[in-house]
Amino acid sequence: MIVERITPTLVWYYYICRREVWLMAHDISPQEDDNLIELGRTIHEHTYKDERKEIALDGMKLDMIKRSDGAYIVCEIKKSSKFEFSSRMQLAYSLYKLKEMGVDVKGELLIPREKKRIFVELDHELEEEIKRAIVEIKEIVSRELPPPPERNKFCGSCGYRHFCWA
Amino acid sequence: MKKTFYIFSNGELHRKENTLCFEGDKGRQYIPVESVSEFLIFGEVTMNKKLLEFLSQQEILLHFFNYYGYYIGTFYPREHYNSGLIILKQAEHYLDDTKRIELARKFVEGAVANMLRVLKYYAARGIDLAPYIEELESISGKLKENSTIEQLMALEGLAREAYYETFNLIIEDPEFRLDKREKRPPTTRLNSLISFGNSLLYVALLSEIYKTHLDPRIGFLHSTNSRRFTLNLDVAEIFKPIIVDRTLFSLLNKRMLDSSHFVKELNGVYLNEKGRAIFVNEFENKLASTIKHDKLKRNVSYRYLMRMELFKLEKHLIGEENYEPFLARW
Repeated sequence: MIVERITPTLVWYYYICRREVWLMAHDISPQEDDNLIELGRTIHEHTYKDERKEIALDGMKLDMIKRSDGAYIVCEIKKSSKFEFSSRMQLAYSLYKLKEMGVDVKGELLIPREKKRIFVELDHELEEEIKRAIVEIKEIVSRELPPPPERNKFCGSCGYRHFCWA
Repeated sequence: MKKTFYIFSNGELHRKENTLCFEGDKGRQYIPVESVSEFLIFGEVTMNKKLLEFLSQQEILLHFFNYYGYYIGTFYPREHYNSGLIILKQAEHYLDDTKRIELARKFVEGAVANMLRVLKYYAARGIDLAPYIEELESISGKLKENSTIEQLMALEGLAREAYYETFNLIIEDPEFRLDKREKRPPTTRLNSLISFGNSLLYVALLSEIYKTHLDPRIGFLHSTNSRRFTLNLDVAEIFKPIIVDRTLFSLLNKRMLDSSHFVKELNGVYLNEKGRAIFVNEFENKLASTIKHDKLKRNVSYRYLMRMELFKLEKHLIGEENYEPFLARW
């Protein structure tokens, strides 16, 4: 299987579980009757209703773009800060892709339920990490088999937990 | 937790704003749409396209049964879980004889092993089932050597024949004898109970398949021919002894059903509405009862166990882990 495009969500999964990256890339989607997925969707639909501008660009969907002091800021909306690191990397990847297109912008992670905003700027270090992740994501997805399940702290709330451990 | 809704009476099922409403002889009943996973419809129910659209959007299945309780078909909404990879692999495992037989054998092995489990349970309670257990064990041994689907089907038939003979020894009530397993139409009360229970299991599995990436039309033991769905029939083989048969043993040995729950029509014997309600209630209790799962290290219901069986099948298809059927431990 050839990945034509790495989506920001795939980057998000990469920092949580590599097996999930493979399954997602092969359209073996997680169980949707999972309440947490429903909750995430509801938050997505019902927050920032007035300021929301969604933009689809080159295989990625940016949750919201806002203007602050004359500069544009790309925002990513999340349910909780449990996955803060993954979410930052996801946003960093979007910023990286935008930079490739010649658009230099900063980002903000929004967690409405916790009233939190986390600022993300693509510095040299972050950019190198993203480049490294892209190479590895491509390698994982091109494998014949998914990486074997490994228990981590996210397994308990994952939509694949029963698939992995069936 | 979403539930299965059974409709036995006549009336109209329709969308009422963002929820569901059933209007029958007993008046108007609202059914919160979030609480439904599927409907099993036995009564004469009218409905319109607006309802079907709504149910499709909500991913709710409708299983229809005729007046005699025979399964007639399912409104299977457009797939929500699509994976090209899984569909291709499923077809590949059907078309490649070696791969197909390997899976078909697993289903029969699981079925026979679970029949044996049921018999051993009753043998331990003092019923003399030794000759039958011996016969099933010998059939189980032969499964490894046999190399065609037809041979596997034949062995499965033999096993089931011997197994059904034991029902007269297990069921204490003389009103429920099974002289010969007959399906179309069922000629004795016990035959009609087995047929009805199996139909309920088939649709329960179909509903579980809907929640996975598998295609219910491609089975491995049962061929993909004129039948609409076959994968559910395959997987049902494993669960019939431990879900359907145990349900009916408990119904009959607790004397929950008697002659007043049956009608004789068209050369056949069928459960009446009251009898069906009793059966369905016990069947649902069985599906909801839980057992400890080895790998998950927590309790899972029989219904969920069926879903996990499908996950195991998906993993087999993508080549990750060889499928081993669920074997009951008691």
